[in-house]
Amino acid sequence: MAKFRWTKLGKVFTPQTVTDRPWLKEFAQAPASLVLDEAVRIYFSCRPPPDAAGQYVSYSAWVDLDRRDLRRVKAVAEAPILELGETGTFDEFGTYPVSVARAGDEIRAYYGGWTRCESVPFNVAIGLATSADGGRTFQRAGAGPLLSYTPDEPFVLSGPKIRRFAGTWYLFYIAGTKWKIVSGRPEPVYKIRMATSPDGLRWTRHRRDLVESRVEEDEAQASPDVFWRDGRYHMLFCYRYSADFRGKARGYRIGYASSTDLLEWSRDDTQAGIDVSDEGWDSEMVAYPHVFEVDGTVYLAYLGNQVGRHGFGLARLDSTGAGGGRSP
Amino acid sequence: MRWKKLGRIFDPTQFALPNGCTHFAQSPQALVFDDRVRIYFSTRSLEAATGKYLSQVAWADFDKGLGRVLRVSSRAALELGGLGCFDEHGIFPLSPVRVDDAVYAYTTGWSRRVSVSVETAIGLAISRDGGERFERVGTGPVLAPSLREPYLVGDGFVRRFGGRFHMWYIFGTRWKRPVSGGEPERTYKIGHAVSDDGVAWEKEEGRQIVPDRLGPDESQALPTVLRIGDRWHMFFCYRQSFDFRSNRERAYRIGHASSGDLEIWERADDDPRLEVEDRGWDADMMCYPNAFECEGRVYLLYNGNQFGRYGFGAAVLE
Repeated sequence: MAKFRWTKLGKVFTPQTVTDRPWLKEFAQAPASLVLDEAVRIYFSCRPPPDAAGQYVSYSAWVDLDRRDLRRVKAVAEAPILELGETGTFDEFGTYPVSVARAGDEIRAYYGGWTRCESVPFNVAIGLATSADGGRTFQRAGAGPLLSYTPDEPFVLSGPKIRRFAGTWYLFYIAGTKWKIVSGRPEPVYKIRMATSPDGLRWTRHRRDLVESRVEEDEAQASPDVFWRDGRYHMLFCYRYSADFRGKARGYRIGYASSTDLLEWSRDDTQAGIDVSDEGWDSEMVAYPHVFEVDGTVYLAYLGNQVGRHGFGLARLDSTGAGGGRSP
Repeated sequence: MRWKKLGRIFDPTQFALPNGCTHFAQSPQALVFDDRVRIYFSTRSLEAATGKYLSQVAWADFDKGLGRVLRVSSRAALELGGLGCFDEHGIFPLSPVRVDDAVYAYTTGWSRRVSVSVETAIGLAISRDGGERFERVGTGPVLAPSLREPYLVGDGFVRRFGGRFHMWYIFGTRWKRPVSGGEPERTYKIGHAVSDDGVAWEKEEGRQIVPDRLGPDESQALPTVLRIGDRWHMFFCYRQSFDFRSNRERAYRIGHASSGDLEIWERADDDPRLEVEDRGWDADMMCYPNAFECEGRVYLLYNGNQFGRYGFGAAVLE
């Protein structure tokens, strides 16, 4: 029996329902929560229509869900939380995805910044921005990235998830290991990594892939979402094959690993407790999990088919093997 | 102090270079041996698929007076990086330094971008056989962009003073289109980082250590540092950020600064000054300096016109 049992609540936000924001045409990717007094703010990343060459840029924004009924949308951001970077900067063509955390009076956003390359389509590095208005808008901490490339993390540093456990900041993210030519086109292979920090600014990298690959050596892993419950750390993440992954058979699924020390992780995807539906918006893939707790209930936000092109949904945790959770 | 020019000492068109390269011997970098001086330089091959250049590192061994070429490398000192890596489209320069029994090579890797022409970062490759073959410490860079150094980190020059590794390098401050239109051009300044092992570096994070002479549009490149007497001296090249390729009034010149503490640098381009000539191989441009000591004399290697298309020359300090 799965460790977690999730009840799907359906899709809660559909970007196509927002018609007066040209930068928010489709996609609501990589949901990340910030619990407010009256709402749960879910940050996501979206795209305007592609340019004449078929190229997308991505922005990050938020939607406020009613804290008493998370299926009810109260508000949608009037503008992206961050403009794109200037010419030549790491985030000139996209700010996606984003993960937020409170730090005193300010809110910090760790995000993937996208640039375009010639031999491969893109590169990504992790940036930092802060908000002084409760998470409505953000300003960059600098024009460059907070986490850039290193000898053993050579490209595609993305998917940051910021967490704090026992006074230490943890950044879970992905790092590219190779560009693989698939049907004549370079596709990145990436694995889950971790860094730690006393202040969220100066980081020490763990320099190891945290989670073993299961479906194939070149399995791509993303969205490492870590939470503490029942005396151990749990990670939900998503994974897919390296080729032909845009359909159901080899597309994203949600995996699971657990750890007692955040360093050694044991993978067992049968424990994730969520899979594709027989039909509907999440019938081909489930991806980009994010777990949050509000008013005593644990929720899972995630993406469905086409990696969130038509929005994100929620599931509610019904049971686990043992009692309630408490942060260390 | 005064530079005495020795003229051009290496013409790439006169040698068979690796990878079929026929022109360019850029950013010469010396490594002194008991019986010779090896000078690494970047030459260029053409990439068939794009028709664009790839910078490749070769070397030439000279006698210790720099008057005679003894031997030229038959293959690249380091192959270019793999698909999507920071050094996929060029290594320029490769800057060697002896560290105990090894030779560390700090490389500037080039990779092409779409909205701007290029991005760079600094890699490290290590040779255990005296500078013949180098092996990367990893496929990614050791010095890359950061919050206040957003792009174009390159030109790493490393020396160990007092048990500490120091790196002087450049970082980009701006990509800007010229008023007259055209592609964005870059501006960069000289920065400084320190390290205990030569691999993990701590930057000063955006501090420009050498003052501008031409104002904010001055681009500074290729810092090289050595001790002469009781002070440290830095040579570098500088130019205007726009219209610098064919206008000799705005092209690269050799700059100089000195320091008593490796913290504060006083700029003094005229002492010693590398004179501009009316005509000849280095009359339009002088760039990419590398200073070193050999047999008690201080030499400066540098490139001339067209960024070193026709080779490099040398000067000796008097």
